[in-house]
Amino acid sequence: MASVPMEHALVLAAVLFALGLAGLLVRRNIIFMLMCLEIMFNAAGLAFVAAGARWAQADGQVMFMMILTVAAAEVAVGLALLLGFYHHFKTLDADAAEGMRG
Amino acid sequence: MLMLPELLVVATALVVLVIDLFLSERTRWLTGLITLLGLLAAMAAACTNTMHGALLGGRFVVDAVAWWFDILLILAAFVTVILSMDVLNGNTRVRMRGLGARAEYYCVLLFTLAGMMFLISSRDLITFYVSLELATIPMFALAAWRRDDARSGEAGLKYVILAALSSSLIVYGMALLYGLTGQTNLDAIGRILPNHVGPAFWFAVAMLVAGAGSKFTVVPFHFWAADVYQGAPTPITAYLSVASKCVGLAFMFQVLFRIFGGWLHDGSLLVSIFAATTMTLGNTVAIVQHNIKRFMAFSAVSQAGYFLLGFLGPNEAGVAAMLFYMLVYIVTNLGVFTCIIWYQNETGREEIEDYRGLSQTNPIMALMMMVSLFSLAGIPPLSGFVGKFFLFSIASSAGYHWLVALAAVNSTVSLYYYLRVIRQMYIEPPDADARRIPITKKLAVTEAFLFAGVVILGIVPTLYESIHADTATWLATLLR
Repeated sequence: MASVPMEHALVLAAVLFALGLAGLLVRRNIIFMLMCLEIMFNAAGLAFVAAGARWAQADGQVMFMMILTVAAAEVAVGLALLLGFYHHFKTLDADAAEGMRG
Repeated sequence: MLMLPELLVVATALVVLVIDLFLSERTRWLTGLITLLGLLAAMAAACTNTMHGALLGGRFVVDAVAWWFDILLILAAFVTVILSMDVLNGNTRVRMRGLGARAEYYCVLLFTLAGMMFLISSRDLITFYVSLELATIPMFALAAWRRDDARSGEAGLKYVILAALSSSLIVYGMALLYGLTGQTNLDAIGRILPNHVGPAFWFAVAMLVAGAGSKFTVVPFHFWAADVYQGAPTPITAYLSVASKCVGLAFMFQVLFRIFGGWLHDGSLLVSIFAATTMTLGNTVAIVQHNIKRFMAFSAVSQAGYFLLGFLGPNEAGVAAMLFYMLVYIVTNLGVFTCIIWYQNETGREEIEDYRGLSQTNPIMALMMMVSLFSLAGIPPLSGFVGKFFLFSIASSAGYHWLVALAAVNSTVSLYYYLRVIRQMYIEPPDADARRIPITKKLAVTEAFLFAGVVILGIVPTLYESIHADTATWLATLLR
């Protein structure tokens, strides 16, 4: 079975990460911002899997499991706070969050 | 038992959560007491444990630095729990709605503490990352704990997005390190890395430094701090400003010393630039603040800049100086925050102007707050001066005289804005109808102890010497 070279996977991971980061900076809707964060975590996870394949170790995949779990926890808290935010501001626009200035 | 303090913290968190089910609303204050007892037990376990060693196949290691960090973190959490009790139990003049769910609050707080304690002891990418997130994720919930306050929710949401951003940078950097070395053990990565310097390596350095800088509020990665500090419930602001700063330092220790230890000497110039911008920007922006919590946020940013001086060199004395200054900073900052929390509990106010005339209504509290602020500014003979002196001497012995001069100028600038608060308390007249503000015993005793710490740590040098003696050989094994 011909295997995918590590460079290809790493380039894909880098592109995904950059897309996520760009989306996070450009998007103003908080749900999309959380989705972009998720893309960034998954890009990092993909890089781990590719690295694990390079060294023929299971560690990369174990780490990917951990990243998935932690990202799920992170987004769970984020979505809960998002509900509270919507409750107060009646919008999901991040620019509405400007109650504090200084 | 090497892991006993951590296990006690986790066990207390679970016990608090379960016991809460069997308590009536009237006896629910007991959860706070149980939390304190658990933390005392963890502190006792940490203090009596003089052994160093490894567990779980070398993934969990207690060494001198980890031991000191454990002590500092438990201390910070202990004081935070005391400061939270009045607010959570409703013993405040001004009702703070939306701060219910005591048991959950303590449970979540204890879990962040456990994550922080595991972080400094972890030696494996996986445990390192998971404990970092255990220390961070519950903090989002704590920052947003006041459900009826829009600012608290806003702070929590901003914290989620910005901290998750820095976490994703960190984990991507870790993936690159693992890809380069094929190792998950931090020490092994640090040993092998010098053979793999290339574009991917520098990419990983940039990612991890940005992530670590964000956790430790180093300029230009500090932008989350001000809003989160201002919006969070005040006891959580206090916790963020000390425990989160402490774990940020622990994270920097792991990344800079353990993984990139070989480059730290060459990277000194970069560290010095970060230190210079951090203290200068933190100080400059703090001058114009009106909200005292936001003001303390920028004060905390500038203090992070002083800490960075300890990484210059690098040498053994820097490690001890940073640990000692962290102890001083925790005690002093909590001293200031005790006053802020007390004032907010009783009057509901948090603007700097609201403190006018405090010296006439409550002379003792005003005095203690003034001394704590002077210690933050670094006035001799208070502990803040001694801590800063050790850090400055590290930078000076590393040859960064311009940075020492800049830091001294910054200390003077910081004195100016700390004096703004003191001026309100001592020179401005109180309101015509101002009366003495009562204080609960808990807060009075806490403030007295912290005040004693601020004064004694500066006069009695034994603590610094014992930290220095404990950590004297720690760095040598990492830098080779």
